[in-house]
Amino acid sequence: MAVDTALGRQRSRRSRKNKLLIEAGIVVGVALILAVIVPLILSDFRLTLLARFMSLAIVALGIDLIWGFTGLLSLGHGIFFALGGYALAMYLQLQIPEGQIPDFFPLYGVTELPWFWEPFHSFPFTLVAIVVLPMIVAGLLGYLVFRNRIRGVYFSILTQAALVVFFNFFNGQQKLINGTNGLKTSTTMLFGNQVGSPSVQFSFYLITILLLTLTYAFCRWLTSGRFGRLLVAIRDDENRVRFSGYDPTSFKVLVFAISGGIAGIAGALYTVQSGIVSPQYMDIAFSIEMVIWVAVGGRATLVGAILGAIAVNYARSLLSEQFPEVWLFFQGALFLIVVLVLPAGIVGWLRTDGIDGFRRLTGNSRTLSTFPSVELDESLQKEREIAEK
Amino acid sequence: MSEKILDIENVTVSFDGFKALNNLTFNMEPGELRVIIGPNGAGKTTFLDVITGKVRPTEGSARFKGKDLTHLKEHEIARLGIGRKFQTPRVYLNLTPRENLEISCNRTKTVFDTLFKKTPQPERQTVSGLLETIGLSAQADVPAELLSHGQKQWLEIGMLVAQSPDLLLVDEPVAGLTDEETEHTGELLMALAESHSIIVIEHDMEFVRQIARQVTVLHEGSVLFEGSMNEVQTNPRVIEVYLGSEPSISTEEMTMLRIAASMAWSDGHFTNEQQDIILGRLSQQFAKDGQEQSTLQEELKDYLAKDIPVEDLVPLLKTPEEREMALKLSYEVLSSNQINQQKGVAYQRLLQALKLPPEVVQRVEQSVTGMVS
Repeated sequence: MAVDTALGRQRSRRSRKNKLLIEAGIVVGVALILAVIVPLILSDFRLTLLARFMSLAIVALGIDLIWGFTGLLSLGHGIFFALGGYALAMYLQLQIPEGQIPDFFPLYGVTELPWFWEPFHSFPFTLVAIVVLPMIVAGLLGYLVFRNRIRGVYFSILTQAALVVFFNFFNGQQKLINGTNGLKTSTTMLFGNQVGSPSVQFSFYLITILLLTLTYAFCRWLTSGRFGRLLVAIRDDENRVRFSGYDPTSFKVLVFAISGGIAGIAGALYTVQSGIVSPQYMDIAFSIEMVIWVAVGGRATLVGAILGAIAVNYARSLLSEQFPEVWLFFQGALFLIVVLVLPAGIVGWLRTDGIDGFRRLTGNSRTLSTFPSVELDESLQKEREIAEK
Repeated sequence: MSEKILDIENVTVSFDGFKALNNLTFNMEPGELRVIIGPNGAGKTTFLDVITGKVRPTEGSARFKGKDLTHLKEHEIARLGIGRKFQTPRVYLNLTPRENLEISCNRTKTVFDTLFKKTPQPERQTVSGLLETIGLSAQADVPAELLSHGQKQWLEIGMLVAQSPDLLLVDEPVAGLTDEETEHTGELLMALAESHSIIVIEHDMEFVRQIARQVTVLHEGSVLFEGSMNEVQTNPRVIEVYLGSEPSISTEEMTMLRIAASMAWSDGHFTNEQQDIILGRLSQQFAKDGQEQSTLQEELKDYLAKDIPVEDLVPLLKTPEEREMALKLSYEVLSSNQINQQKGVAYQRLLQALKLPPEVVQRVEQSVTGMVS
């Protein structure tokens, strides 16, 4: 008996390992197709679009982590997204001959570089800041909110309020960060090449694929083990977690900070691919859209977040090219359909009803497993045989 | 002197002037199984809230194994070794029972240990063992939302045990369960009581009788009475609190009433005829005029408890006269119907418990037979 279960455990562990290997294979395969084959098919314009959507998929992963798994609906991820973008844009703005300052400063009568720009001369510092700056802001905000046990819709409202605060601050500070005009990146230089040039954009396309893959792997690792189960437990019943001896606050702060850091990476990539970062990234509607992508793709399914972000954005760019005025209606309808018909999102539906439906169509539906007492009851089995005839 | 596992002194909790707990003092020895009962709003759940840190007492102190609880947070108290089961089953619906138990079983509950360490082998074994104990081995890997209400209740009790606390607080574990499930839950708690101290809050009196050794009655935020289940059920103040009016008969008279009732119950049927005899005879005994008798009869109806073992009841009678009275009443009830075998056995048990001299028994029996014929 004991040997049996040990063997069974070994076998299940091996099959789990196999499954993981298969999944890793698929992910790497898709990444290679995107990196090698897709550029041959798509035009430069479409390729840049795809790259931008993939960077939005990264922030969707962050939202999925905090909303899908932990159950905290953040409507303020625009803050972290924009912070990552600003960090990289500031570095790029400083790629000018020694002693000069970015060209918008003189317009407002500023002659000296503000102090907080100084560290952005350094490329390594910038790379760290893209992740860590949003993490710190998210961590602080999260700590204040979660420590006071603010939950549910109040949390959402607070994140949105924070978003408005940041938006207004960035919008009003011409002398510090060029206010509402934002920072342009397309004409700046990076390692001797213009950022807007096709060759640099193609490198960013490859980097985006790499970072999306890495972020996916990281989130997958985070959510598959004990930590992931605890996140789900916090979503299901936070008080139960507390009375089981865990401090949910620290878990929530950590996962909110991670989610913010991921949004920072996405923001930086999106900025260089769009050519500009501006306070518009902290528009309320944009942060809500991020949530919609995840809802459409499927909450608590990481693949769903990626697919949702890419699919919704592609649909938007196609539709708004054809009928510029209907896109907003379409987006509203999409959200309604998902909430009413597919509450688990596209991937969530595929994983449950979708698979069963497919099996039924192909005529090899699975026999349902029931309770052992039913399986062993002869009279019930006889009835089942009769029913099947 | 052994240290008390739980020591609560003069605790008052007031919400905007309303005192949910009023100068409550309570303590418990290690290894005890204590049941707390009390009418709605007596402060039972607030009492658990104070122990687990959900509510801070306005005044007074709460100590667990000598440690002050009043300044600790919920998770810190849980880590000290106090586990709590809520009124409605609260399990993680999207996780499987195995995962539910593993989360509770985890010994190091800090963020980084949870993140970087895998569930160690001994914990896996503990969890498998627990799944068997709570009868969920077959459903170990389906989401907990598919479990029945009773299975969820057990899963939550299992989660408490997985935490390996020294003190279990169990709030209404059998609410909404079938009789069979209730009995299983009782057995489970009794088994747990061998290695844990347990406080159970419950409304279901049958269930309390099954598991209780020591019962504490709360009323309006203070301890009203503490004692064995039989003492509780015959205590006039407890009855007053539960039924709204003070009983007009004494504890001893109530005991006689119950002994006679248990005779009537012994063959599993309690006919109206038998009820009338008991109530009629008793009211004649205790009341003077006719009108008083009939009101008393109505009142006594409420006190007829179901099938209490006579061995528990008899020691509550102090004088030989009272015991004789109880015998007389019981014999009368028995001879009102055909005496079958079960009733005979019950009667023999009663005689043994009463320990009256044979000549007294004979005299009583004759007087009753004479009266009936």
